[in-house]
Amino acid sequence: MVDAFAYVPAVVLLPFFSFLVALGAGKYLPKGGAFGGIAATAGSFLLSIWIATAVAGGRAYDETLYTWAAGDQFELTFGALIDPLSALMLVIVTLVALLVHVFSLGYMNDEGETGLPRYYAGLGLFTASMLGFVVADNLLMAFMFFELVGLCSYLLIGFHFREPGPPSAAKKAFLVTRFGDYFFLVGVVAVFATFGTAAFAGEGSFPALAEAALAGSGDVWTPGGLGVETWFTVVGLLVLGGVVGKSAQFPLHTWLPDAMEGPTPVSALIHAATMVAAGVYLVARMYGFYALTPTTLAVIAFVGGFTALFAATMGVVKDELKQVLAYSTISQYGYMMLALGAGGYVAAVFHLTTHAFFKALLFLGAGSVIIAMHHNEDMWDMGGLRSKMPVTYYTFLAGSLALAGIFPFAGFWSKDEILYEALVHGLNEPLLLGGYVMGLLAVPVTAFYTFRMVFLTFHGEPRSATARDPEPVRWNVKGPLTVLGSLAVVTGFINMVPVQKVLGLEGIDYLHRWLDNEWGGIEGLSSHHYADIGPYSSGYIAGGEVPTVLVGAAVSLGLALAGLGLAWRLYNVASPTEHTAKLGGIKDVLYNNYYLDELQVWIAYRTEDIAGGSDTFDQGIIDGVVNGVSSVSLAGGSRVRRIQTGLVTQYATMLTLGLIALLVVLGLNGGWFL
Amino acid sequence: MVPVQWYLLLAAGIFCIGLFGVLTRNDALYFLMSVELMMNAANINFVAFAWYYSNLTGQVFALFVIALAAAEVAIGIGIILVMYRNFGDIDVTVPTEMRW
Amino acid sequence: MILEALIGFTFLAALLVLLVPNEWAGRLAFALSAVPFVGSLYLWSRFDAAGNALTGGTIAFESRYEWVEVGGRTVSWFVGLDGISLPLVVLTTFLVPLAILSAWTPVDSRQSQFYGLMLFMEANLLGVFTALDFFLWFVFWEAVLVPMYFLIGIWGGPRRKYAAIKFFVYTNAASLLMFIGFMSLTFALGDSIGSLALPEITRALADGGLETWFGISPDRMAMVAFLAMFAGFAVKVPIVPVHTWLPDAHVEAPTPVSVLLAGVLLKMGTYALLRFNFTMLPEQASALAVPIAAIAVISVIYGAMLALAQKDLKRIVAYSSVSSMGYVILGLVVFTEYGVGGATFQMVAHGLISGLMFMAVGVVYNATHTRMVGDMAGMADRMPLTVGILVAGAFGYMGLPLMAGFAGEFFIFVGAFGAPSLPYAPVFTALAMFGIVIVAGYLLSAMQKTLFGPFRLETDYEVGPAPFHDVAPLAVLLAAIIVLGVAPDIFFEMIRDAAMPVVEGVSVDV
Repeated sequence: MVDAFAYVPAVVLLPFFSFLVALGAGKYLPKGGAFGGIAATAGSFLLSIWIATAVAGGRAYDETLYTWAAGDQFELTFGALIDPLSALMLVIVTLVALLVHVFSLGYMNDEGETGLPRYYAGLGLFTASMLGFVVADNLLMAFMFFELVGLCSYLLIGFHFREPGPPSAAKKAFLVTRFGDYFFLVGVVAVFATFGTAAFAGEGSFPALAEAALAGSGDVWTPGGLGVETWFTVVGLLVLGGVVGKSAQFPLHTWLPDAMEGPTPVSALIHAATMVAAGVYLVARMYGFYALTPTTLAVIAFVGGFTALFAATMGVVKDELKQVLAYSTISQYGYMMLALGAGGYVAAVFHLTTHAFFKALLFLGAGSVIIAMHHNEDMWDMGGLRSKMPVTYYTFLAGSLALAGIFPFAGFWSKDEILYEALVHGLNEPLLLGGYVMGLLAVPVTAFYTFRMVFLTFHGEPRSATARDPEPVRWNVKGPLTVLGSLAVVTGFINMVPVQKVLGLEGIDYLHRWLDNEWGGIEGLSSHHYADIGPYSSGYIAGGEVPTVLVGAAVSLGLALAGLGLAWRLYNVASPTEHTAKLGGIKDVLYNNYYLDELQVWIAYRTEDIAGGSDTFDQGIIDGVVNGVSSVSLAGGSRVRRIQTGLVTQYATMLTLGLIALLVVLGLNGGWFL
Repeated sequence: MVPVQWYLLLAAGIFCIGLFGVLTRNDALYFLMSVELMMNAANINFVAFAWYYSNLTGQVFALFVIALAAAEVAIGIGIILVMYRNFGDIDVTVPTEMRW
Repeated sequence: MILEALIGFTFLAALLVLLVPNEWAGRLAFALSAVPFVGSLYLWSRFDAAGNALTGGTIAFESRYEWVEVGGRTVSWFVGLDGISLPLVVLTTFLVPLAILSAWTPVDSRQSQFYGLMLFMEANLLGVFTALDFFLWFVFWEAVLVPMYFLIGIWGGPRRKYAAIKFFVYTNAASLLMFIGFMSLTFALGDSIGSLALPEITRALADGGLETWFGISPDRMAMVAFLAMFAGFAVKVPIVPVHTWLPDAHVEAPTPVSVLLAGVLLKMGTYALLRFNFTMLPEQASALAVPIAAIAVISVIYGAMLALAQKDLKRIVAYSSVSSMGYVILGLVVFTEYGVGGATFQMVAHGLISGLMFMAVGVVYNATHTRMVGDMAGMADRMPLTVGILVAGAFGYMGLPLMAGFAGEFFIFVGAFGAPSLPYAPVFTALAMFGIVIVAGYLLSAMQKTLFGPFRLETDYEVGPAPFHDVAPLAVLLAAIIVLGVAPDIFFEMIRDAAMPVVEGVSVDV
């Protein structure tokens, strides 16, 4: 039998070939190279499923495939690491990428866009980079593909480069994430210097070495006699910088709303399964390292909880469909970070999975609405689309219910588990508890802005001519929506922990068992192992586990329903009004995103001022000295040459005087005159 | 027998007359003549030492200097003529074209 | 004999091109310059050196003839290659044909002289990278300046005379300083050397052959010589604060000359630093590690900040060269395998990438006749292929993985961070690494302003796609950058082999 793992490189390379084909021959192909991309991602998807079944069959894969630089000091390699986590992620990424490719046929090709080969080339490279990142077996390879993902986001966000907005947004996206990646790169280098390796898995991997060093049985390099644990915390926080940038966590989230300038399918790809997910995936990938340092975990949890609440509040006042979704993305990734920080490794991966589906669904649904509305994204121009585009409406509704965390849609299960983990672990940890409270407060806000969006878009009376007569969409839009819509409904059932705990059923927490290497996996990369080395102990409220589960779920569901109800009251009317005046002074703050963009622009301008100052200094002082030396020489020369009068008489005088002086000196020395 | 010092004193005297001419005059012809005087002073030295050391080298050298002086006069007069033609004068302070 | 043939052929080619009519010169020069490139590929395929040429390793293609004897020192024609010089030889022979190709459009007068000087410069550059005798090396080193002076002074922009004289005087004064430093070292070595061959001098220095000379103790002599040579080479690199000739020279030089100036001439400085300062006087280098690392970091950050302030595309790339060369200095001073090897690799990588950037900016300039950021916008609309390659090259400059620049920078960083011989190595490394953020800042904003958005041009020129012979060298360079980024080991393996003896020259417990 052919080994599925032999095809791991093919999963990455297929989309890469579609990139090459689209780039080189896209303009000679039908649909600008779309079918190449669809075929490649479909192939990758099938291979991923095959690989996942191989993992389910009890096997795993960790091989070095290519030596990039074979030094004696460090060996820098590329390899593939297939364990339950990466196998799951492969399936998610390839599935979403495939659906986005199909959807693009409707969104890009049918809309008569130009530059399609460039678009499909970008999609192909994006998918390939993300897949390379997912299968990476060491931190350096992960970083390299992480950066390539950033490049692709630049290319795709700036796809409409002839307009002024997209190139600016693309620049911002790359620059802000680059700022985070700077810390990540320092972290990578520090990991190499500390451990001599950056491998994720195995005996000699850096999490294993770190564990040994903390246990006192290993020897690692630390700078300047720093304590091992302090240094590990620093390294962990450095790598976290990259995560904060890519996963759009506070304070580096500002690029993400701007990134909505890109074509909508690209937004779906970036926010659901690839770029933004990369950060969270990275933490999950090296969770064996993070679990060792409680400080880092607490920081992750707090930042995550804060981002969840913070971004959600901004989503409340946005007028454009995609902007609301953008802030909800930031907020949802905040939840995942909260889960990771709270020791809820499985919960984070669970939410990553469900969110990938329902957020891709929402973005593609928004894309469908945007097609219908002739690329007008303002929700106040929509309304009443429910009857005109039922497929979009019902799938979008499913995604919204999942996002809001309404039972029994996918988002409910995963968000509930995150909050549960944060609660039980946070009872003894004040920082974590703070994260939990903020996460909980974000629940009603999320439900509110989600359904504000749904009601404004689909309910009520049409508020513009296009909304009265929207453009119909075709199968290539409806198909992906249907697939994702069903997934948004059912994905939650892969991990019904509350049901298991309350009813005492065994074994329906499939994701837990999957990530715990119950079927197959790699030693040291299991959720059990992470729980063992992690710092947390569980505490319960209301006297025991089952009541805690029930209370937690009831509270979050109740809050979600409250938010939904408020949205219903305010916006599910024939002709809704803004209501933002009730917010008073907060309104302006929210509209302006807490002035964080202004702050970053201010920082950018100050940097430019410093650069200008340096330039003045350089031209004036440093180059001034250089030019000064030449001016002094020239001026001195023009003075000194006046001695050369050109009169022989004077030269002869000089000669004679010189001779006499010489004679006198020699004479005095020689004692002639004595 | 005249001691060699007297010849040297004579040569030094003639040399100083020539040097005085170069230092005080602006006229190119005077220059030429003064230079001739200084060269002849050197010649006297050559010959005097040749006689004193009973060695012919100095005398031979004096012959060379005389030949050289002749050539120099030829060129010198030529330069002076050109100068007169271009500047209408043989004052050496007048031509300053090439200065600075 | 093959190295003699390579250098000799290039000299003859220069002469031949000088003699032909202007109309033929471009094509002929391109055809002739392809020969050394093929030759260097042949050298690469037959390359059999091991270790470092200066520290007693096996020298490839070694060839030595005694020439004259001066003051008890034999001067010889002594050439050969090792793992450090071969990549630079290949880089030189690779860049020159491409630079010549890129000159076809912009150079429109006195072509035969232009191409003749280009080839003459190539021959001297090959001499610099192959010579193993100080005298011979110095002759080539100085001779490089001459064609460069004329290339800038005749075919340059409006302030070409100022730039050419500044370049020549500045670097020549630096050479004098270096020459005095090195020669006093050889005098102080006394009878322990019998020739000016670099391997012999290196060996004598390592064996402690320095004597007290004119009352100067060996330690002080070594330190003074190190400082003099460092200052001399620093101008060539250039390192802050002796960098100001570079932007002027780049801005005034025509595109193909900028390509060679940034691509190869700057590497002469770092190559010489590695060969002389860091190989011959490693103890002094590690004693001065902290100040050298500090100016390396200052070069990186300050150079990048200056680039951020510029409005002229060529000045931006010129200042970013200062920044990139700072990385190289940092890599050299840490004395680790990845540090020194990465620095050498970065020389090649930066040669390719900055060459590409200058060439691409030149192609844009050919069409628009302006390089000012504010004078144009939306160029991507009119010259998609050129702009595409320019964007790719810019990302290469920012250190995008799987392109050569990332490999070089990452090697340096990973080698520097934990370096035992440099105190505060992690701090220096982390500070220098911040350069990758600033470089992204200024390149991205310059690209956004000039390449994207609605098309606008302040000058009255019709802009269309560039001709094939302008774009082809860009594509070739880009391909080379990607190949080197995906498989750095094709050069890095031999570089490591030659760098290890240098690294081992420093005792770790300094």
